[in-house]
Amino acid sequence: METQNNIDVRERPPLSNARLAILVLLGAETMLFSGLIGTFLVFRVGNVTWPPPSHIGIELPRVVTGINTALLLISGYTMFQAWRAIQKDSVKQLRNWLLITGILGLLFLGIQGSEWVQLIRKGLTLQSGVYGGIFYVLIGCHAVHVLSAVIWLFIVLGMAMAGRFSADRYTGVDTCTIYWIFVVALWPILYVLVYLS
Amino acid sequence: MLRWLPENISTFGQGVDTLFSAIYYITLIVLILVMATLIIFLIKYRHQEGKKATYIEGSTTLEIIWTAATTVIVFVLAMFSYPQWNKIKSPNQFPENPDVVVQVSGKQFNWDMTYPGPDNEFGTDDDLDLENELHVPRNAVVHIRLTSQDVIHSFFVPQLRLKQDALPNRFINVWFEATKAGRYEIPCAELCGFGHSEMRGYLNVHEQTDYDAWVQERWPQEAEGGQ
Amino acid sequence: MHDNEHTSHHEESFLRKYVFSLDHKTIGKQFLIYGLIMFFLGGGLALLFRWKLAYPEKPLPIIGVSQQYLDEGEVVTGADRMWERIYESDEEEWLELYMPAGVMTDAFYNMLFTMHATVMVFFVIVPILVGAFGNFLIPLMIGTRDMAFPILNMLSFWFAVLAAIIMMAGFFVPGGHAAAGWTGYTPLSADAQWTGVEWGQILWGLSLFVQGLSSLVGSINYITTVINMRAPGMTFFRLPLVIWSLFIVAVLLLLAFPVLSSAIVLLVFDRLAGTTFFTATAEGGGDPLLWQHLFWFFGHPEVYILILPGMGIASELIPVFSRKPIFGYRSMVYAMIAIAFLGWIVWGHHMFQSGMRPGLGSIFMTTTMLIAVPSAIKTFNWLGTMFRGSIRFTAPMLHGIAFVSMFVIGGLSGIYMANTPVDVYIHDTYFIVAHIHYVVFGGSLFAVFGGIIFWFPKMYGRYMNDVLSKIHFWLTFIAFNCTFFPMHILGVGGHRRRISNPLAEAVEVVTQEQTFADMNIFITMSAFTLGFAQLILVFNFFWSMYKGKTAEQNPWHVNTLEWEAPTPVPHGNFGQIPTVYRGPYEYSVPGEEADWTPQAQPEHAPATGGD
Ligand code: HEA
Ligand code: HEA
Ligand code: CUA
Ligand SMILES: [Cu+2]
Repeated sequence: METQNNIDVRERPPLSNARLAILVLLGAETMLFSGLIGTFLVFRVGNVTWPPPSHIGIELPRVVTGINTALLLISGYTMFQAWRAIQKDSVKQLRNWLLITGILGLLFLGIQGSEWVQLIRKGLTLQSGVYGGIFYVLIGCHAVHVLSAVIWLFIVLGMAMAGRFSADRYTGVDTCTIYWIFVVALWPILYVLVYLS
Repeated sequence: MLRWLPENISTFGQGVDTLFSAIYYITLIVLILVMATLIIFLIKYRHQEGKKATYIEGSTTLEIIWTAATTVIVFVLAMFSYPQWNKIKSPNQFPENPDVVVQVSGKQFNWDMTYPGPDNEFGTDDDLDLENELHVPRNAVVHIRLTSQDVIHSFFVPQLRLKQDALPNRFINVWFEATKAGRYEIPCAELCGFGHSEMRGYLNVHEQTDYDAWVQERWPQEAEGGQ
Repeated sequence: MHDNEHTSHHEESFLRKYVFSLDHKTIGKQFLIYGLIMFFLGGGLALLFRWKLAYPEKPLPIIGVSQQYLDEGEVVTGADRMWERIYESDEEEWLELYMPAGVMTDAFYNMLFTMHATVMVFFVIVPILVGAFGNFLIPLMIGTRDMAFPILNMLSFWFAVLAAIIMMAGFFVPGGHAAAGWTGYTPLSADAQWTGVEWGQILWGLSLFVQGLSSLVGSINYITTVINMRAPGMTFFRLPLVIWSLFIVAVLLLLAFPVLSSAIVLLVFDRLAGTTFFTATAEGGGDPLLWQHLFWFFGHPEVYILILPGMGIASELIPVFSRKPIFGYRSMVYAMIAIAFLGWIVWGHHMFQSGMRPGLGSIFMTTTMLIAVPSAIKTFNWLGTMFRGSIRFTAPMLHGIAFVSMFVIGGLSGIYMANTPVDVYIHDTYFIVAHIHYVVFGGSLFAVFGGIIFWFPKMYGRYMNDVLSKIHFWLTFIAFNCTFFPMHILGVGGHRRRISNPLAEAVEVVTQEQTFADMNIFITMSAFTLGFAQLILVFNFFWSMYKGKTAEQNPWHVNTLEWEAPTPVPHGNFGQIPTVYRGPYEYSVPGEEADWTPQAQPEHAPATGGD
């Protein structure tokens, strides 16, 4: 029988509700991408030549996307700086870093969008067998995530402008940072798999 | 329950049936033990005025005993199953030099059987296409190249204890050796659309002489060739 | 944190209070009623196709137009009159299509069992077990005022409603509803040309996608709440087992559903955008088996999602009504974790005959059979709990006992199928159908019934009528076994599942054809009895809500925290958050006068609460 007497006050949990929730959400996101990445791997491993013979001649834009990857990684760094800034109670720096991050995110999306347009012109479309299909679905799914992260970030920026954050009240920045980092960290994996393999 | 199994007519079917009855008896014993214990407890420990329940939190010994017992039963069962499974399904353990090779292809809602003919090659002029009728000799190793032309179907011959899904764009090899002549159904066992219920072919197992006659009728030249 | 904020009383509008409520208890009850309604729908569909299985060539009673009307154009009964009106309206085509001459077509049969299973799995069992019990019980049993995110909680319910609406819409689109089984195997489901189903399948996918969002939001809430908001003293190993089970299920849902979502995204692309992920084409096409892998990677954890909360509920009912601590609390917890973990590495057992590599089959057989071990631990611990107890045969306890015994039957039939050589024969026969229903009806649903009767006094402040509950139990228990046990025999005889005309089936496969036809008729009769029995439950439920005997605060003398709250439970649940001093199952502690010692009762103070 367990009868030791107990603490009367509820302890402060190590992770706040919001933080915990966002981490839990990332668990689900990871599984969503696992499903798609798994699909990609099935096709990749199942085909001896990749891209399949019918697509020879269509080159994915490795270099441009490589640069784009770098942009996104930098945005991860700037987001981290924004987070550090608010911890030091500097709302001004927070705003600046957030703005830079947001612009980098938009830039990433813009470059990807224009690459997609070119690829479609060259003839790689959703209907181009599984090669085109999984390319657009997987990369597109990530792009949707970047887009929602950017929207979220601009909402946070708006809140920052309205002076809603301080060194001991920054849950909004906190959760957005975690999500942003996730989206950024996912990209290199996709880049290596889809563009380089 | 076991008597409901249709008669077995394949060489590996006996192994399946043996495992089936082994599991049947194991689970039956487990079921009887559990139910008997349950009923005895329900009667013996029902609420009675003035009798209090005994405070018991658990027992590590018992916990270990039933964990170990179940683990052992399960592993022993698995050990006996591997070889049987491989015998049925592993292509590298199929008997070599089949007496008959047939391609069976499912399509909504029929089984297309293709015999390669005397040259033993598919896609040549002497191929024979039959709809829903499969002819094989008794006591002969039959290899089947299973495929499908549209959706997934499943090649099922209850009496052979054989079932294998047929996939479009893929050839899956299965084998069997039937030990009893007769006509058996080949129902389709995977939902394949509104005609699934009525999709079935027939397996005709002939005595060797009847089978030879059948072959002769189809490919007269072959008989002249002496084979 | 802000403990007093919630307790202060203020009037709420009707909408806030009953419709867009943020209160976890109301949301739980909403899920319960939603689930019960869907249960009737799903069961009704089953009864419809059961008729076809018993009398493949006879028109349906009432719904099928009478033979006389068809022959002579004459109207005799009220039903005929009703259908005459419909026949002459626009719906003529629909009826002509699906029920020419009142006899259901094969295509319609396929839609019916597909929707039966989809509704039962996604819109009945999960909403009731996870949505209703999870919402109602978690905050109450861990001793907090509400969920961590009440708004998300409300969203989770309304997402579920939206999903149900989308799913129901499928019945009314041209081409009819999804007809590829609840497993939606590709390529059958990936292209309208194979089934003739156009939008039905797409709506099926979209609906499940939305259902996934609902589960996602719900499980984020559950996990956060259980980790962060337990009452003082409520350590993890003092959590009631039902909370453990719901917590583990939340993790499973969280991780499993997104995989299905990804598969659905691909399927919808195949359907709408011309991709070929699941269709093998000559050059560089997709892979039909891919869907099966993705589906079952989700699907198998899903079936444990269906059973774990049931196990949790049984683990509450059995100690309470045996007046004994649960036998081996910790091993019960570890066993559930083990089941949840093993559940991830067994999905291939649904694909033994699919053309997956035989070597993989052997691996999946081993992992699958291993699940018997934690299941054995649970079963024997339930028995151990009753050992030397003082068992009260209340209606909830009867359901708890039924759960244990039926789950064992269903689990043992799982061993046959887990065994690869035997599965070669058994796969896609009625043996599987018997297994499904023994675990989900015999298991999950009995737990649901028991749980409803057990917590009803806390939910509505009244008892459910005991006599009706017991009649419902016995009728259900007997009719359930009469319905589903013979299916084992059909399966062993070679009767395939998903067959609309078993008479054609039995002609040559089995020698026992007449027996099988009779058995199918018997099963159908029992199924109708089973359906009828559920009417008693629903009548009892709604009647008792208003007319039942008023219940005390803790009528069953239970230790866990939900019974510390006043009845009916106010907004904010507890006057003061209780402090927890001990585990949840301290019944008949030696030296104590009462045979129960509530979790919140300080050391050496007499039990309080129930009168
Ligand atoms: C609540 C849902 C639920 C649960 C809990 C289970 C539990 C189990 N299931 Fe089941 N299963 C389904 C729902 C469920 N299943 C559904 C819906 C399908 C069909 C899907 C479809 O195709 O439509 C299915 C299909 C299915 C298949 C595929 C069959 C086929 O299509 O060919 C297999 C194969 O291995 C299987 C195995 C098992 C096993 C081994 C367990 C184990 O967890 C059972 C463990 C329990 C016990 C073993 C009993 C208690 C233990 C003891 C008393 C100890 C002593 C025991 C021994 C010594 C053996 N199940
Ligand atoms: C998850 C839970 C669940 C539950 C609770 C049930 C409950 C029932 N199931 Fe189902 N079933 C499945 C899950 C479930 N099933 C699954 C997953 C499949 C596999 C599908 C597939 O192959 O894809 C399946 C398949 C399945 C089949 C096989 C179909 C086939 O392969 O061809 C059959 C056949 O008898 C069947 C019957 C029943 C019956 C009679 C009930 C009874 O318990 C129902 C009791 C009845 C009621 C609760 C109704 C009460 C309502 C009224 C009295 C009102 C009357 C209204 C009208 C008639 C409109 N089910
Ligand atoms: Cu072909 Cu079912
Ligand atoms: Cu499974």
